[in-house]
Amino acid sequence: MMPLGLLNSGEQGEIVAIRLQNTSHSVQCCTENNKCDCRVEDMGLRIGKKVEMLNNGGGGPLLLKVDESRIAVARGIAMKIMIKEVTR
Amino acid sequence: MSVQASNKRQEEVGESQRGVLRPVEKRTITVAVAGNPNAGKSTLINAIAGTKLHVGNWPGVTVEKKEASFDYGGRRIKLVDLPGTYSLSPYTQEEIIARDYLVHERPDLIINVVDATNLERNLYLTVQLMELGIPVVMALNIYDEAEAKGYRIDVQGIEQMLGITVVPTSATRKSGLDELLQSVLATADDPAGHIPQQLNYGEDIEAAAQFMAESLHKSHPSLVDKYPKRWLLLKLMEGDGNLQKEVNIGQEALLDEALHHLKRAHGEDIEAVMADTRYSLASGLTREVLQKPELRKTELTEKIDRVVLNRFLGIPIFLAAMWITFKLTFDLSKPFSDWIGTMISGPFKRWAEALVGFIHAPDWTASLVTDGIISGVGNVLVFVPVIFAMMFFITFLEGSGYMARAAFVMDRAMHAIGLHGKSFIPMLLGFGCNVPAIYATRTLENQRDKTLTALLIPLMSCGARLPVYVVFIGAFFPSHAGTVLWSLYVMGIALAIMMGFIFKRTLFRGEAPMFIMELPPYRMPTFRSLMIHTWEKGKHFLIKAGTYILAFSVIAWFLLNLPWGVEHKKDSYLGQVGQVVAPALKPLGFGQWEAGSSLIAGLVAKEIVVGTMAEIYVKKDEDKKKEKPTFAEDLKEVGISFAKASKDSLANVVSTAGITSISADESAEKAAERNPLREELKKQYTPLGAYAFIVFVLLYIPCVVAIVAMVQELGSWKWFGVTFVYQMALAWGAAFIVYQGGRLLGLGG
Repeated sequence: MMPLGLLNSGEQGEIVAIRLQNTSHSVQCCTENNKCDCRVEDMGLRIGKKVEMLNNGGGGPLLLKVDESRIAVARGIAMKIMIKEVTR
Repeated sequence: MSVQASNKRQEEVGESQRGVLRPVEKRTITVAVAGNPNAGKSTLINAIAGTKLHVGNWPGVTVEKKEASFDYGGRRIKLVDLPGTYSLSPYTQEEIIARDYLVHERPDLIINVVDATNLERNLYLTVQLMELGIPVVMALNIYDEAEAKGYRIDVQGIEQMLGITVVPTSATRKSGLDELLQSVLATADDPAGHIPQQLNYGEDIEAAAQFMAESLHKSHPSLVDKYPKRWLLLKLMEGDGNLQKEVNIGQEALLDEALHHLKRAHGEDIEAVMADTRYSLASGLTREVLQKPELRKTELTEKIDRVVLNRFLGIPIFLAAMWITFKLTFDLSKPFSDWIGTMISGPFKRWAEALVGFIHAPDWTASLVTDGIISGVGNVLVFVPVIFAMMFFITFLEGSGYMARAAFVMDRAMHAIGLHGKSFIPMLLGFGCNVPAIYATRTLENQRDKTLTALLIPLMSCGARLPVYVVFIGAFFPSHAGTVLWSLYVMGIALAIMMGFIFKRTLFRGEAPMFIMELPPYRMPTFRSLMIHTWEKGKHFLIKAGTYILAFSVIAWFLLNLPWGVEHKKDSYLGQVGQVVAPALKPLGFGQWEAGSSLIAGLVAKEIVVGTMAEIYVKKDEDKKKEKPTFAEDLKEVGISFAKASKDSLANVVSTAGITSISADESAEKAAERNPLREELKKQYTPLGAYAFIVFVLLYIPCVVAIVAMVQELGSWKWFGVTFVYQMALAWGAAFIVYQGGRLLGLGG
């Protein structure tokens, strides 16, 4: 098990746990004056999903491929999503 | 329970139909359009409704609401575009708007726009829409791309399993739209026959739901009629906070009893259980109906992304893209802006004068009309080409999918000031003109980013401030012009970073929102959608800002010309106000009333600072009045100069000259005409005082138009108050430090 944020570009993994603070797995950015679409699970990042790291270039956000969509995720979130590595 | 639920719904529908007195054919069919972001929802609506689209805001929030009413097949259809959402949970503003509309307004049916290339995630929303018991017609959109990718989708399979009508569409190619509208009519004619299938959520959930349904019937019978029953039950079970508040059922014995078994079997978090159930339904359905080709070629999008998002190339490419956008915007629009400017101060003013003279209106009306109203309207109109050009390019970048990449690339750098990558674009635009920059903040997702970005934009030195710098630099620092000008731009940026830091720690305390967003595949936006979205973005400016500007210009005119017949500008109201504020400006090195008056006049638009100073300092040259051209000559001039503007605009795009060179040349010309002003300024100010003055011009409120834009975009006067206070304080503080610091260093006072 390793954090998603540690995958190298081109590697794949399967999500095994999501360790974001509250039970509903919503990232804590949804305050009253702050609308956003940050429910990780609604974006398709859920347990059992295969993800492919498209771009993990050092600092800044990283780019994942889940199903047929590309999702950019802050490193902070990616470090809290645990995966097991999948070899192709 | 399932039979009960659908029977109940059918009864309701039957009743409401019986209750309508007008013939069914005359009734407007209200259709809510729901779907994920990036599923092509707005393209679809544009393709269907086109120009009939009406854009407004959802009540109380700054989320756009689009509606369109039109006739089709002899019936009236009203489309209501719901915000793009991934789910109907109560966590984001969009979700809340969408679900409140669906639950409380009860549209006749829902068009669910689904991205055929990304079925699973889109069906997750479909499953939730089906809980509402409203007939659903699915627009299986982007179907052409799915086919091109070799996907085989069993359309009938979806129809059978979900009990809804499915129509493959391609909004960009406008295919399938007729079939979609036909299905809408067919469904509206027989709503009872088109209630979506009630999906089975598994034994445990269904049992709990059944128990809840029975208890609710006894304890809260009114509720059952008010809400879609299935939805009510499921939402109460998953502990939906918003609904609990609405119906006043929270942690009650009723719930505990119903959920007892469910919690024992699946753990405390029913919401997660429910989400999983829905997701596995969506995922199972996808597996049933979708066949993907075995070999997946590397898609074009991924190839482009590999270059565009490269850790070394990403930022240079982004900056280059921005530079091109920026340059094209100003190159294209500048000749037209200048044309509008000259036309208004030339022919239109003369025509108005002639007209006012013709009806023998008193002098003061003539002055009000020409100097107040026409100049005022002119101030708005000169912005029009810039704003539309800029909105056009922004729309293009958005539509093509690059905007999301820009946000990705700039994200890290912008974190320093508590913002995300996406905010960089509006801030950059601010160097051209703050007004479209503030309007561009509407591309930002959340209110916090939007507000913080809009607050910092005025610190980006806009083009209108340049003439002021040029005049003062020309008078006092001709040998160091470049350095002085550069120092002003850098000061603006440095202070923006500083203010970002301060705001992040005061007004916008708390976590910077976590960044998670979808990067849509690259697509070529259609010309039609480009035009429609550009118009939508620009229209707000035209209408609302226009009315405010006019009002402020008239007020400014009154201030400068009343009491009527003042000999000296010093005695006008503006002059008097200038005298009042002068003592406050004394420590900054420009305590003359003329400076104060000019700065106040500059609130309307920064260019006016120079104009006002010229008017005050330089005596009017009466000989300058030339022969007035005739009406025909004027008309000819209008036409010829428009042709020239168009030619210049095109030539600019082709030419490789820098943006700055164009505006600087222009301003240099203007400045040359004002040589007498320079001489006068040299007598009035010390070099240090002059520099403090331009620093003040850089930092205080940009202009009325920008303020109006800010109030309009942020939806309240509160943030205007914040900007006003912080900018005035910053301007005063910086000018004070420059002047007094300079004096201490012995740079002369």
